[in-house]
Amino acid sequence: MLRFLVSLILGLVVGLGIGLYLGWVRFPVEFVDSPASSLSQRYKDDFIVMVASGYVKDGDLGGAVERLRLLGVANIPAFVQEVTERYISNSQNADDISVLVALSESLGRLTPIMQPYRQISGTGG
Amino acid sequence: MDDYKTEGLSRRSKYRRPRRELSWIGLLIGVALGIGAGLFYAWVLDTRVEYDTEPWQLQPSDRAQYIVGVALGFAYDSNLDRAIQRLVELRPQADPIQEVADVACDLATTGYASTSSGLRAIRSLMQFYRLQGRSGCADSLIPFEDQATPQVVIDLPTPTPLPPASKTPTPETTLRPSPTPPRVIAPTAQPQSDYIVAAINTFCALDSSGLIEVFVQDSNGQGVPGQAARVRWDEGEDTFFTGLKPERGPGYADFQMEAGKGYTVEMPGRSDPTTQPLVAAPCVTEGGDQAISSYRVFFRPG
Repeated sequence: MLRFLVSLILGLVVGLGIGLYLGWVRFPVEFVDSPASSLSQRYKDDFIVMVASGYVKDGDLGGAVERLRLLGVANIPAFVQEVTERYISNSQNADDISVLVALSESLGRLTPIMQPYRQISGTGG
Repeated sequence: MDDYKTEGLSRRSKYRRPRRELSWIGLLIGVALGIGAGLFYAWVLDTRVEYDTEPWQLQPSDRAQYIVGVALGFAYDSNLDRAIQRLVELRPQADPIQEVADVACDLATTGYASTSSGLRAIRSLMQFYRLQGRSGCADSLIPFEDQATPQVVIDLPTPTPLPPASKTPTPETTLRPSPTPPRVIAPTAQPQSDYIVAAINTFCALDSSGLIEVFVQDSNGQGVPGQAARVRWDEGEDTFFTGLKPERGPGYADFQMEAGKGYTVEMPGRSDPTTQPLVAAPCVTEGGDQAISSYRVFFRPG
């Protein structure tokens, strides 16, 4: 009986490890119906570029801010500034940087690192 | 003699075999229970924290806003490749551009259209799908100002000529060369692609499982070698050239897809990309074998 119990406990420990590996790593729960606030950073960045492009196209700052609320960030101007500076630091696409700088500037967040891109940015209609 | 027999029998008896350290039955039951408990804990009690959500996992309302973003981006840069790639990341069940039309329709029937920002967003959606030849209920709900055709204003330097001199002196005429030359507004055509996607055929074959076969042909249907074809998917792109497999014809090139992924195909700079993603979905061949769906894409001069 003792032999059986020892084996059972040993099996439980091994099985638990396998189960956690399968459940957390190999076949984790795939979430659907997720809010945009949980988007990975890559897609959040891409969404900000899209919204900034829309802003440069139509000049609708209120609409741009409203769209960015979707991402659930507390301070939208600071967030746009952070993304813009990261794009500049990482030498991302110049067009993307220019629209981000335009949006950041309109939100009162024009920093020295953005200045060179400001000349090629501007809102249009 | 009897002792020997007795000893021999008892040596073969199961009661005399050395006992194993572990009970296999106990171990197996333990492992099974452990796996069950581990999965229950990982899937129900303490699921993995969600930190890397992709666009396809978004809830419907946020998905619609993401699509609005795609349309706004397209309205700014007119980059169809990029817009399609962003839509492919939403893993649409059907035609991704028609989904844009459907989203525009949904938004047009809600309070979203009551604000100027919302109206502009819906118009961006409409501009996007109308350029790709789709339609939706928003067309009848929202008046659309067609901004698709850019216009160029040409100032013609044609001054008004002075009247011919006459023998009779006349008081100084007020007729002067027009200071403002007439302005002619000439619509410019959309940039034309010299190739179009003439046909896309799907097939399922074990020997060419998950293959995109590209055929670039001239107007007579003859293969054109040395033409670049580009395939894009959510994590990258690849460019390849026709004519490298002459046994399949001079205008032939192919690309191996990965199962479950969606791809767009185009001739870079010479055609628009395929509007519907080519999805490497499982299929069954005529012989009953499991394979990945394959595609034949034909490009011809537009």
